[in-house]
Order: sequence, then C-alpha cells, then structure tokens
Amino acid sequence: MRMQSRIAYAFLAPYLLIFATFWLWPIISSFLISFQNTRVNPWRFAPSMNWGRLVGDPAFYNALYNTLIILVIQVPVMIALATVMAVLLNSPLLKARPLYRFAFFAPVVVGEVAYAAVFRLMFSADFGIINKIIGTVGLAPVSWFDNGTAAMALVIMAVTWRWAGYNAIIILAGLQSIPGDVYEAATLDRVGKVQQFFHITLPLLKPIILFCIVLSVIGTMQLFAEPFLITNRGGPGGATETLGLLLYRQGFTSLNFGYASAIAYTIAALAVAISLLNLFFGREAK
Amino acid sequence: MRSKSRSLLMRRLVLHAALTPLAIIWLFPLWMMLVFSTMSDYGIFSPDIVLVPSTQFIENFQNLQADTDFLRAMFISITVAVIYTILSVMLTSMAGWALARYRFAGRSVVIAIILGTITLPFAVVVIPQFIMVAREFRLANTWVALIVPPLFNSLGVLFMRQAFSMMPSELFDAARVEGVKEWRIFLHIALPLARPTMAALSIILFLASWNNYLWPLLINSKPGMMTAPVALGTLIGLTKVSWGGIMAGAVLLTAPILFVFIFLQRHFISGITAGAVK
Amino acid sequence: MAGLTLKNVTKRFGALQVIHGADLEIEDGEFVVFVGPSGCGKSTLLRMIAGLEDVSGGEIAIAGTVVNDVEPSERHIAMVFQSYALYPHMTVRKNLSFGLTMNGNPKADTERRVAHAADILQINELMDRRPGQLSGGQRQRVAIGRAIVREPQVFLFDEPLSNLDAELRVQMRVEISKLHKQLGTTMIYVTHDQTEAMTLADKIVVLRSGRIEQVGAPLDLYDDPANQFVAGFVGSPKMNFLKATIASAAADAVTVVLAADPGVTLTLPISGRPEVGGAVTLGIRPEHFVDAGAGEANLTVDVDAAEHLGHTSYVYAAVSDEPLIIERPESRHSDAGKSLTIGLPARRCFLFDADGQRLR
Repeated sequence: MRMQSRIAYAFLAPYLLIFATFWLWPIISSFLISFQNTRVNPWRFAPSMNWGRLVGDPAFYNALYNTLIILVIQVPVMIALATVMAVLLNSPLLKARPLYRFAFFAPVVVGEVAYAAVFRLMFSADFGIINKIIGTVGLAPVSWFDNGTAAMALVIMAVTWRWAGYNAIIILAGLQSIPGDVYEAATLDRVGKVQQFFHITLPLLKPIILFCIVLSVIGTMQLFAEPFLITNRGGPGGATETLGLLLYRQGFTSLNFGYASAIAYTIAALAVAISLLNLFFGREAK
Repeated sequence: MRSKSRSLLMRRLVLHAALTPLAIIWLFPLWMMLVFSTMSDYGIFSPDIVLVPSTQFIENFQNLQADTDFLRAMFISITVAVIYTILSVMLTSMAGWALARYRFAGRSVVIAIILGTITLPFAVVVIPQFIMVAREFRLANTWVALIVPPLFNSLGVLFMRQAFSMMPSELFDAARVEGVKEWRIFLHIALPLARPTMAALSIILFLASWNNYLWPLLINSKPGMMTAPVALGTLIGLTKVSWGGIMAGAVLLTAPILFVFIFLQRHFISGITAGAVK
Repeated sequence: MAGLTLKNVTKRFGALQVIHGADLEIEDGEFVVFVGPSGCGKSTLLRMIAGLEDVSGGEIAIAGTVVNDVEPSERHIAMVFQSYALYPHMTVRKNLSFGLTMNGNPKADTERRVAHAADILQINELMDRRPGQLSGGQRQRVAIGRAIVREPQVFLFDEPLSNLDAELRVQMRVEISKLHKQLGTTMIYVTHDQTEAMTLADKIVVLRSGRIEQVGAPLDLYDDPANQFVAGFVGSPKMNFLKATIASAAADAVTVVLAADPGVTLTLPISGRPEVGGAVTLGIRPEHFVDAGAGEANLTVDVDAAEHLGHTSYVYAAVSDEPLIIERPESRHSDAGKSLTIGLPARRCFLFDADGQRLR
C-alpha cells in the first residue's frame, strides 16, 4: 500500500528527524572525528594519531582495567543479589511485602547526584557514619577516598545499591510470568524448594537474567557519575578512573574531541562485544 | 498437618530474617540523607553517631541557596522535565503507532534503528552531539539544548508500539470503514485506549529527565541555566560549602519523586519492565 | 441501495495466493452469505469488498462503479465485525455517532439517525453505557446499530454471531433476517456455520481454498450440489459418502457397486457416460434413507450408537469401516451392537467422480 507508507512516515517524521540530527549524524561524525587531529585549528586529518595514542596510552589501560574490574565484580554480585531479592519478594510467605518492595526499589528513582552526595558523606574517612559504626565494633577506620582498593569497593557498593532493585524489578516480573502450576507439579513430584529454584526457576529466568546482564554491562562500560562525584574525579590517583570518566576528561576538560571519540568507539565496541558474548553463551547452553 | 504448619512457620521466619537486614541496609542511605539534611554542619562532622533527624532543614536550605541558586535550578529542572515528557510521549506514541499499525517500505530499517540504538551507549554520541549542539547550533545554555537532543528514545517507541499492537485491529478497521481519517483514528481511538501505557511511560520519562546528569552537565554549565542535579553536583567536592545544604538539596531532588513512586509504583514498574518484554 | 459485481478478483499476500479469480453477481437488496471452512478466503473477500484489503487483480464494482481504488469510507458500505469492534472508551451513543461526527455530518441529522437506529434495535435504554457494561447480545446490537447509522448501500457482516452463545445466536439470526426485510438493503454475510447460511441467505456462495465452489439459493445447493465438497458442506448432519465403482453405464442410467458391500448394486438416473470400472463416490443424506425394501437397494450396516432427540434419532453406523449417519424419524429403540437394514432410494442419491465433481 503506497498510501500506508505516506501515512506511516508522517507519523514517524518527527522521531526520525531527531534521530538523524542527534544520533545518526553524531555517530558518523564521531567516527570521522576520531581520525582527526583536533588539537590544532582547523582540525586536520591524521588517521593514526588518536587510535595510535589509544594503543599506547597508560591512562587508557588504567581506565580499561578499572572498568573491567568493576564489571567482573559488580555485575555478577548485583545480579545475584537482585535475583535473591526478587525470589524472596515473590514468596507467598512474605508479610509486609510493600515495605520490602519499597526498600529495594526506592534507589531506582534516586538521582546520581543525590545518592553520590550521601554516599560521599556517609563514607567520609573522619566523620563518616560508616567509619563511626565500624569503630564501635572495634575495627580501624577505612580511608575510603585515599586507598585505591577501598575507593574501588566504594564505587562498586554504590552502583550495586543504586541498580540492584532495578534489576530485581525486571527479574520479579519474569518470576511472576512463570505459571504457578509448574511449581505445583514439582511439589507433587516431591521436588524440594531449593531444587525447584535451581532446576525450574533459574532455567526459566535465564533469558531475563541475560537481558539484565547486558543492560548492566552497557551501563558499567560508560560509568561516569559515581567515580566523578563520589571518589572525586576517579581518585585517588586514577584508582577509580573509568572509561566513561576518561572520555569526559579528554572530551570536555582537555577538549581533545578526536581522542575522546576514539575512546567512545572503544567503549561502544567493548559493550557490544561483551553483550554479544553473553547472548552467545546464553543461547548455546539452551 | 502439624509438622507442615511448623515447617511453614520456620520457612517464614528464615525468609524474614534474611530480608529484614538487607532492607535496612538498603534504606539506610536514604534515611541518612534525610537525617543529614536536618543536621547542622557542626553536627554532621561531630564524632557522635546520629541516626534521628534534627531540626535544621530550613537553615541548611538557606545555606544551599547561598552557595548556588537552587530554586532557579529546581524551576529549570521541573520545566524541562514536564516539557520533555509531553514532547517525548507525543513523539514516541506517533512512531510506535506507525510501527504497530502500518505496513510500509523501510519498516524493517526503522525497527533495526530502534533495536540497534536501544543498547548503544550514550558515550558514543555524546561528543559529536555536544559539538553539534554547542558549537554548530550555538545552543549551549539554552532550554532547547536541554530538551530536544534527549527526545530520541527507542525504549519509549517499543513500549508504545507494544501497546498499540495489542489492540484489536478490527477497532481501527471499523473506524476506517466509517471514513475516519488516520490521524483522527490515532487521536480519538488509539491514544485514549493507550492511556495506561502513556501514564507509565510519562513517569519513566519524567524520572529520566529529572535525574539526567551528564548531558545537562556538559551543555548547560552557565550558573543561571543549570538543572538542579548539575547545580548540586558543582558543590560536591568543594571545600567551603555547607554539607547540610547539599543534603537538603539531595532531599529536595529525591523526596518528591519518591513520594510519587510510593503511589504510582505499578506504573514505574511497568515502565521499567517494558524493555524486558519480548 | 446497490448491487455488486466481482470480476475475476484475486488476492495475493506476497507469494501466497488466497483468492483465485472470484466471479460473482449480487443483486440489489439480496442477502448473500459467503460460507466455507476456516481459511477458505471468505473473510478476505469480504474485507476486499470493504476496501480494508487491496485487490491484487480483477475488479470489484458497487452499484456499477469500480471501487478497487476507492477508500473504504467512500464505498457506501458499513461493516459489522466479529469482535464487534466497539470503541471501549465511548458510550453507546458516541459509538453510534462517532463516524458521522468525524466526517462533519450535521449534528441534527446525526442525532436523528442515531435515534432511528436505536429504535430499530431497541437499545434506547443502553445509550449512555459503555461497551464494557453490555452483554454480548447488546454489544452485537450496538455494532449493527453503528452500521445502520451510516445508511449504507451494502451491509457487510463478518461472522457477527460467532462470539454469542447458542441461544442468543438463534435469536440474533432471526433479528438480522427481520432487519434485512425491514431495510431491504443488500447484505453480505460471512460465516462458517452452514445453518446460518441456510436460514439467512437468498443466495449462498460456497468457498473453498480461495475458490467459489458454487453459488445458489439455499435449497438449490441442498438439492443440487455441484460437487462433493458442497454436498458435504451443506446440510446437517453431513451427507454420507460411500466408495463405489461403475458396473455399467447406459444412455440414461448408471449402475454402481458399493465397495463396502459388493452385494449392493444401485442404478441411478444419470445421463453422463462414466467409464465402466471407474471409482466413484455415492452420496446420500442421513435423512434420505428409507425403510428396507422401500428403496431400489437394501444396505445392511452395523450400528455403533444411537442418539434419540425425541422427534427423530440419529444412528451412527458403519459398513466395512465406512462410517454412516442415518436419521430415523419417530424411532426410539437403540440398535447399538446390532445390524440394521435400510433402503437406498436411487433418486435421492448423488454420484461424484474421483475429482469430487458431480455426475449428472
């Protein structure tokens, strides 16, 4: 139907216009910029300058290393925690369910700046409530912002707090879509609750959990606000500098758009690669 | 029978024993945000452990207002979020409607664009988007810069498309036979029926705009045109600043949305899970 | 009011052809029923007439004007859908007036038409309710009312009764029939239910796999089916089919031998000269069996079960594994497990060739 095409594009036009202007063109232009020397005026074509720098830049490797560390530790911990939250919230035995749901889901609506501020204050080395509580148990206070490992742990904790509930919501929806008679049948077959979880619930949840992992990987690859605000611009000494933060510094502090574009493409490529890898393993095991 | 009810009781106890500490830990930062926002800076930095709110909220807010024009920033944030939400719901419903209800040339290309960009990190476009908006269009520190570029929202299109394609097509055929124009079918039949979905989407969009940090930070950094999160963010890490004031700002950013969340949880949740539906 | 003409109409969905050259003439004021098993293309054909599906080939003309490229709304048709397709967020009144209002019809005229339709269908007291608050039958009335309001030249019904329970279905069937008499407008009605077709139609169009198998008045199809498919589709219970071979063929008669019981031979008044020894199918309706000795041949069957409905009984039987249904009026004794001998009247039997075409 030729008529339908015209009507359809009339409805799509504003959306596609925004896409072309603010996404399609930037994506292409970003790629082109990454081959230019943007530190001279006007910019010059210098194909190997930014990509060459990337390959040998210790700051890039540091950011990549930090990002991957966060990815490897934070994503599995958070997804496992989210699954536990979802399964427990779904239990028919639970009392005061709205209260628990609120507790876990509330961080989802809290903005990055607000929670970064409160985490920064809570974990302050000298006056922070966390160190005060640690002190009452008789342990030495932790210098969360001066010790690289502790700072990294703090970023991981903060991100987990903010996003576990988000993933739990998605997993809970998945749980609720599993028909109850499956469990009734299993109970009649004398399959225990724990076995039911591992042999029925987890396999059925697998696609949803994979979806959560992919989302989390993409989020972690461009992690920015937490190390920027909580650990004070990736401190101490770059110990929590992520790829997202490196991108920001190169692009908007040093105004080196060419190099920042190369970093941006690296982030995207890594995110896509890791997501595909995830999906690939998820499919194969089926 | 007795052994069954006893094991049920045990299971119930274990369940609550596991969930309660976790819930307390999860609520703790929010609670402390509230507590800090009511304490004087002197109290915050004293060696005592304080877990209950005090009375200094107004003073803290006044300090915050002295550090940065937070009221102005809140006004900008609210206005931007409202306009953004309305525009974005319009745009995504129209696009979702087209994809759900018409067969047309290039449809698969448009769907590929949407699915492709849904997982694309914002990082890839942020630099050229910034160059385009700030340098080529010279729109830095304007309302347009805050509202228009984030309007591209693939998840919203999918969400609306889902809602429209679940409606029975005979409904629209009936109107077509009656000679109702396509845009009127969309406006008078499809949109009213999609109201619950639009509500859920609006909440998610409003939240996204309200909490958006990176883009407003880059594009609108001039004091008079900062959004509330950006304005608050500028204070974090400064030395001569009121932490009680920052916390008061954090509460003002969080409390209204948390309040809405309590009453509209269902909409939030359907908005969040929309992406996982497939 | 208007008649309709279909000329070699075809429909393709990509590589799949679903309508193969349909030719049909519909008179002004006629009630025409498209009937056939699901997937036969009857709904597609109706939607093509409505303009909701494009015509891939051929011509559709309404009142003499080719409408292939005319918008649905310009075809002077109204359609009642299987799911009723009532707008759930509008009251009954709004549902009825919506189309007219959107097209800028004068308000007074719209109100007059809505009131008129409400009178005809006796839905006056429902006007301010929403579809969700109505029963299935009431929704059906509103859906028909929405069609009446348009004052169309042709009404199209797409399986309008299939969502109703059995009792309501009969009731609405009668009402639709009355409505047709009252309005005198051309109506085209799609159903898979041959009873609806038989009771409603002036003219039935039997479709199978996108082809028109036969067109005719209900009783013509019953008495004189063109092929085995139509014979089997029209009539309830279904016509019985028994395998047979041609034993001999004369100028105006053919003698066949039943495959299930070679002892049974039957001579039928058929003038065509089929090949002797050829495989054919003998068809006879359950209600046309007669008592043993009263027909031209006797057939002995093994009875499996019997259903007694009071005024009549259906006997489920078999002869050498070929199933049969026999209607026995006024019979109340069950012969289950026994054998039964019945008569075959030659003038009530049909003969079909190997391709299912009628031998006359």
